[in-house]
Amino acid sequence: MSESAPVRKRCTKCDRAVEVCACCDEPECEAAICYGCLRVAVGQALPQPHAHGG
Amino acid sequence: MDGKLDWMAAGLPTEGTNALHPRAGDTARKDVPTCGLTDRLGDVRERVKEKAWDSVVVVNQEHVVLGLLRSAELAKDADLLIEQAMRPGPSTFRPYVSLHEMAHFMIEHKLENAPITTSDGRLVGLLLQKDVVAAMNKIAK
Repeated sequence: MSESAPVRKRCTKCDRAVEVCACCDEPECEAAICYGCLRVAVGQALPQPHAHGG
Repeated sequence: MDGKLDWMAAGLPTEGTNALHPRAGDTARKDVPTCGLTDRLGDVRERVKEKAWDSVVVVNQEHVVLGLLRSAELAKDADLLIEQAMRPGPSTFRPYVSLHEMAHFMIEHKLENAPITTSDGRLVGLLLQKDVVAAMNKIAK
């Protein structure tokens, strides 16, 4: 017997899988956004040109 | 101070054209009620009701935000401790975020309020969606 994997939300900006929306903390948010995209969108961080750190 | 973002996040004055735009920290209500982790929910609820608020920010002794109670959490069992009832680690925003951005996100995500904190998590105030919308309408006129 196999269990199906839980359906995860995806960030509406970068398509990264997210457990809850970083803006409203709701798992069922229709406009889910990841923490990184939210920080860039509100100007709390600069967009990083590369996924790695250095 | 680690950089420009931290300077602005501390609510310190800025110059230039962008400094004229309204920011979350200007509109956030500084008189938002707060409570501690070990307070009793029933006591906090009574205190909040007296002040006509429907949200409370949970902070530690350094005023760092630990959690948030909105209407749903405040309606829980009166004998619970705050740490058992609160919404832990809520999303927070810095004081320099533009009201325009906040209006966009708060409406899109149906956020009635959002805690505004400094970079190190200290509470600045609670930004209410109705205040953001009123401020944006005032600017549009």
